[in-house]
Amino acid sequence: MTRMRRRAASHRIAVVLSAAVVAGLAACVPAEPGDEDGADDSGSGEAGGELAIGTTADVVNYNPLVGNSRTDTWITNLMYPSMMTLNDDAEKVPALATEWGYSEDGLTAWIEIRDDLQWSDGEALTADDVVFTIEAVASEQLGTVAGMIGSYESAQAVSDTRVEFTLNRVDGAFLNSVGFWMPIVPEHVFSQAQSVADFANDSDWVSAGPFVLTQVERGQRYVMEKVDSYPLGEDGAPNVDTVVFRVYPDVNTEVLALRSGELDLIANALPPSVADDVSTDDELETYVVPSLGWAHMQYNMRRQPLDQVEVRRALAHAVDYEAVRQVALGGHAVSANSSILTPTFPKWMDESAEEYEYDPQLSRQLMTKAGFDDADGDGMFDGVDLEMIYDSGDPNISSWAELVRDQAAEAGITISLSGLERNTYLARTDERDFDIYAGSWAVIDEPQSNFNLLFAPDGFINYAGVNDPEVNRLLDDAASALTVEDARGPLHDLAAIVTDQVYDNVMYVEEFTFAASAEWTGFVPKPSELLSVVNPQSLASVRAAD
Amino acid sequence: MSGADVAGVAPRVRTWRAFRANPLGMVSVGMLLLLVMVALAAPLIADYPRGYGDDVLAAPSSAHWFGTDNLGRDIFAQVVWGTRTSLAVGLGASALAIVLGVAVGVGAAYFKRLDTALGMLVDVMLSLPVLPLMILVAALAGPSVSTLVVVIAVFSWPEVARVVRSQAMPVVTLSFVDAAHVMGAPNRWVLVRHILPAVSPVITVSVVLTASRAVLSEAGLSFLGLGDPSSWSWGTVLYNAQRSGALSSSWWTALFPSLAILVLVVAATLCSLAYNDARNPRNRQDAIR
Repeated sequence: MTRMRRRAASHRIAVVLSAAVVAGLAACVPAEPGDEDGADDSGSGEAGGELAIGTTADVVNYNPLVGNSRTDTWITNLMYPSMMTLNDDAEKVPALATEWGYSEDGLTAWIEIRDDLQWSDGEALTADDVVFTIEAVASEQLGTVAGMIGSYESAQAVSDTRVEFTLNRVDGAFLNSVGFWMPIVPEHVFSQAQSVADFANDSDWVSAGPFVLTQVERGQRYVMEKVDSYPLGEDGAPNVDTVVFRVYPDVNTEVLALRSGELDLIANALPPSVADDVSTDDELETYVVPSLGWAHMQYNMRRQPLDQVEVRRALAHAVDYEAVRQVALGGHAVSANSSILTPTFPKWMDESAEEYEYDPQLSRQLMTKAGFDDADGDGMFDGVDLEMIYDSGDPNISSWAELVRDQAAEAGITISLSGLERNTYLARTDERDFDIYAGSWAVIDEPQSNFNLLFAPDGFINYAGVNDPEVNRLLDDAASALTVEDARGPLHDLAAIVTDQVYDNVMYVEEFTFAASAEWTGFVPKPSELLSVVNPQSLASVRAAD
Repeated sequence: MSGADVAGVAPRVRTWRAFRANPLGMVSVGMLLLLVMVALAAPLIADYPRGYGDDVLAAPSSAHWFGTDNLGRDIFAQVVWGTRTSLAVGLGASALAIVLGVAVGVGAAYFKRLDTALGMLVDVMLSLPVLPLMILVAALAGPSVSTLVVVIAVFSWPEVARVVRSQAMPVVTLSFVDAAHVMGAPNRWVLVRHILPAVSPVITVSVVLTASRAVLSEAGLSFLGLGDPSSWSWGTVLYNAQRSGALSSSWWTALFPSLAILVLVVAATLCSLAYNDARNPRNRQDAIR
């Protein structure tokens, strides 16, 4: 019996030892032999080769109107074109569409699309496909786009290249939202299913982008071959023959694979510490793009004491925002001046906005003014213990959540952290079950319409519980403005109120860093993690470096 | 030492003598004591790691023995304070698991009618996929030290129950137990005076082994992000290293907490082995000498 126990024990030691070795020496994963990626192509700047891209998740949904995970978007974006894309100033610029506009009364909108695109099975891409897509989205309420087209009434293909939309109210953000967010799907393929929502689209893919999915090995790789003609690319067709998305468990392993030459590009944004490390590597090239959203804290105003503006201001002044950006984000973030009109969008930005000053003393004064005191003399205000929830899987927020807690303690305010597993976090957010919410918006690209979701009383993501008549009036004014000039005034007033009342505490705008092998050139980085360097234009123009 | 000498010495003393003679046992006890001391004296050894430091991801140096993490916080301090949480979870979960396991194990051995039902319960519990269930429960219940203690204990007691039951089974049939019954002794008395003392060595070994396994489980759950964000544990330090992406570039962020876990688990295992050897007369070879 003793011998058996001893054997079990030594087995246990062996397991523990090997686990420790794995944990400690994860950095030593060897490169795969026989690496045959594009990296070792002749490097003459010629077309061809295979580009291996790392991702950390499988595709959940191949139907671009339903799926919305990052990997879903990266892959389907390469097959189903959007009508508009973004330039460096995050402005909507032509892609499939060539021009667009509104009628005088604002109740009709129109889009002209290119006439030279066709699906990879030979069918032409026409205005009918656009009409089919928006009809499906509207009637079946598909994905996030459905939430953006509340003003949509009907659409009509007046010619092969022109679509006209009838709107039920003036909506200055309608065209930009539809143009950028709605991928156009082929009517002749997607109409085969009873409903578009049920169409899995998991085989025999048809593409109007630069590449078409040909082979899928779940958990392993997604192979995409180039199409014959892609007029939106620089040379009329993609340069590389094949793009392969490979699935890795996490960013750490992706970086190791990139260094070993197994990968040519990492689609996920790198965490700050890795970004710094990678940017000093001569073999690698990094690309930096701004976020289209922001990271923030929202204070649940349905609960005491956060219904008092003094308490919210006290919390806002108890954060050292510069330290958050420099230390937790490693400098990979810029200040938004505590404004919801961030510098990523120069056309909306309000130059007069100022960031909340880090001033624990001021915070203490504000808390005292709000009626709190420290009777037991422990340096902390009595009866205040605020629960802050966040997604524990988000490396940046988990880092600064700890800073925020420690800095709030300096101001005498107790914050308890609840780093939650993602689904629990989403459920708690949906139920508005938190005191402080720490998170980030990935993309808020159309303030005119998006701010409704954020600050209207029935807004889908109005986490703080904002219900302010003045805000509602400004939201309406902004939404019905048909030009940037007309919308700017109400938006600036709105942003000022949000900052003053701390309806949303905007902490920073992240700058995403992406890494690729220096053996490739020609990537076209675009704002946001969704477009980044894996957008269709970028992958169509990438080629081996000289 | 002759056979007559041995007979005159209490078994406890004999076990202790044999244990002391085993250098592995003494070294492992020393290591465990050291860890307990570190846990108790953490405030004297290092400041609680909070806020941020200027030196981000600095390699080990005289200023930071174990280097710093992605927020410039001292990893030595994190490991020292992590000892507290890790040991607290280990001991707490182990105590709870032992109480449950001993109750079920002794109950199954002593009350024959319960044996089948409890045996089945233990078998079912043992056949469950423990890690995914722990993850599920910890994720649903939300992260805190007390959640971890309960979750780990709930999934650790069946092993204790099985070992205790098999040890108690032969004792229940011994004649002095029958004699006690004949004298009209109540069950409680028999259990406390005869059965429990007979299984106590197994319990002692189980406490140490379950505690070390609980520390491993805690580290595993924390590493998966299900730890308590308000307290440092070794798993949390590892989790931070992995999450911040520092794992591939800064080896010290992962090595030192891993070593702490390794030291604890190896010491606990060796200690229980040495104890087991020491109290087994056949191993001790008293009779031959």
